[in-house]
Amino acid sequence: MAVSTAPSAAELGRRALAFTRRRFLALLVLLAPGAAAGVALWPRDLPTPPPKSGGSTGQPGSSPSPSTGIEASWAFGVDTTRCIGCGRCVEACKLENDVPFNPECNRTWVERHAVAADGTEYVDSPEAGIDGFPTLSTAPGAATADIQRSWFMPRLCMQCENPPCVGVCPVGATYQTPEGVVLVDQERCVGCGYCVVACPYGARYLIPAGASSPMGSAGVADKCTWCYHRVSDGRRPACVEICPVGARVFGDLTDPASPIQTIVNTPGVSLLRADLGTEPRVYYVGLESEVG
Amino acid sequence: MRLRIAGRSVVLDRASARTAVASAGQMLRAEVASQPRYLRRWLAALTIVAVLGAASAALTVPPGAEVFGTTPPFEWGILIAAYVFLVVTTSGLCLVNSLGMVFGIDRFKPLEMRHVVLALLFLIAGFGVIALDLHYPLRLIFGVVLSPAPSSPMWWMGTVYALYLGILVFELLANMSPYQRLAHASCVIATGFAIVAPTTLGLVFGSLVSRPFWQGSFAPIYLILTAALSGASVLGIVFVLVNRLRLPGHGPDADAVIVGVWRLLLILLAVVMGFTALRTVLAVTVGTEAERAAVTALLFGPLGPGSWVLRVGVGLVAPLLILLVPMVARSTLVFAASSLVMIGMFVDRFGFVAAGQIAPSTAASGIVAEPYAAYSPSLAEIGIVIGSVALVGLVYTLAERFLDLSSPGGRGDVHGVRASLQRKMLRRTLGVAR
Repeated sequence: MAVSTAPSAAELGRRALAFTRRRFLALLVLLAPGAAAGVALWPRDLPTPPPKSGGSTGQPGSSPSPSTGIEASWAFGVDTTRCIGCGRCVEACKLENDVPFNPECNRTWVERHAVAADGTEYVDSPEAGIDGFPTLSTAPGAATADIQRSWFMPRLCMQCENPPCVGVCPVGATYQTPEGVVLVDQERCVGCGYCVVACPYGARYLIPAGASSPMGSAGVADKCTWCYHRVSDGRRPACVEICPVGARVFGDLTDPASPIQTIVNTPGVSLLRADLGTEPRVYYVGLESEVG
Repeated sequence: MRLRIAGRSVVLDRASARTAVASAGQMLRAEVASQPRYLRRWLAALTIVAVLGAASAALTVPPGAEVFGTTPPFEWGILIAAYVFLVVTTSGLCLVNSLGMVFGIDRFKPLEMRHVVLALLFLIAGFGVIALDLHYPLRLIFGVVLSPAPSSPMWWMGTVYALYLGILVFELLANMSPYQRLAHASCVIATGFAIVAPTTLGLVFGSLVSRPFWQGSFAPIYLILTAALSGASVLGIVFVLVNRLRLPGHGPDADAVIVGVWRLLLILLAVVMGFTALRTVLAVTVGTEAERAAVTALLFGPLGPGSWVLRVGVGLVAPLLILLVPMVARSTLVFAASSLVMIGMFVDRFGFVAAGQIAPSTAASGIVAEPYAAYSPSLAEIGIVIGSVALVGLVYTLAERFLDLSSPGGRGDVHGVRASLQRKMLRRTLGVAR
């Protein structure tokens, strides 16, 4: 008759350990395909833009190009050779979109780039350029530098084809409209600032608290929408409308008669940080150096 | 109004409520008076700092309240650094504990109960800090579930850490129960999460093309490595105190842990130093221009003094040298080195978060930050950080005082939970009706 003896504590521990390792590995093997399938199959519902104007949200739906009937493909052009740094575009944007009159909150701004004889480049943007620029650059060290040439450079959201800000939003509060405009659902935004950090063009900010906050949505992300509420209505963005020298151009790439065609077809037209693969849709004319 | 509570009939009126409050106050005073003086002072100090932290936290509650020193070019400040510090320490605690519970190294087995309490506290404190940094934390909780965004590393991080929290709660309960196989299984799962969680956190930073200093595979690996370092340090501090204060579990078991932590710290400090040096050299030699600018800021720019003195000197070199001092009790060395490592780790977390933003390659929201973006943490931010650490210390001290954390299941079984469950199991085994 076989006599069964109780296993020692060490033996029990060893068995428990072996069991656990197996279970651990089995668990990993089981979980990995499940997680991968989950990612692949997860339904992504694009949020519907609430019908607000002024904020980062706008009217839903796409606008067919009036001349071709094809779905519009909006683009923006900036001719830096024309910009005079008057800052009226910055002011018009703030008024049109309830952007706080706070120097740290800007959907669009104007920079002045000044290049010295030794090749050093100085950049300044006092108060985002809203009141224009003083004669001398305010950038540190620029006052004593031998500046050879300078130009003004309006900045705004690039409405990238591959926007880094959309992918990183943990709750899907940032999304692209069918025309490719990136908007923020401010009622869904959690204010984590991830999109602000992720944008390579610095086009976003979190709305501060207080009376200066538009529409009571303090703490959420805000950005340039190319005045989505206006362009959906067939009008031009406020900054384009106000520009006295035509340095800002907005149009539909599918429309051969659109003014944007002139910019896009200008020799030497360039995109900002094209190396990042974001595929920006703001075309710059007259850039003299690599600008981030 | 009459209620039946715990088998007793209780009359609820104003007079009885007043009596109940008075007697509760008396009991609390008696309890406090019965504690040793050093403990009373320690708890009082922690309570004061935690209350200051709570007051700072209250200032941040209105959404968008401008109590932070952050700006569009420098949107993630010291609270993000504190969050990384706290939650990564949680992972480190689980990783070090796994050496005993999963990989069977005997000297690390006494960690189980203390590690899980500490891991939970660090994780909850981390969640608290990040909730205060977010302007709408409730939207995040609902949004993560109702509108999942699996393309976002932050969504994965939130989901993984939420599951991690659940596993740790389960592990704690299992450890307090007689079901030790459950405790063991939950520990194994928690070990998996201890690796996956900092990986997802690293991806939050590492996936950003706009931030070359963070971008790439460096961040997840670095966070896992330094997690183990900070976890070992916390356990080093706690187990030296267990022996010094003769808390439950002191003696040979705690001695063994201290020796284990000593060895682990030596190895991890050397590895982290090597990894940090490698990362720095690679960034300077073959990195992009933006990456070099960030590393320059970290070495010679505004972050330089803190980086060299606190991160490298206090946090890495000094602990390594201290651990190698001969003729001094090992527990003293471990305590000193661990404390320094924790200081260095916090500065390291801040340096990591700051270096990714301090040298922006573009203006942000109209702010031209050249050569460096400015950021000074506000008093409210500092209050929240210190308060969160004090709260972890306070609750853990109370747990040490009123629970038996010496071993899984708790030998003392202060609340009788384990004894009650054991009786229930025994009845079931014997087929005895209650």
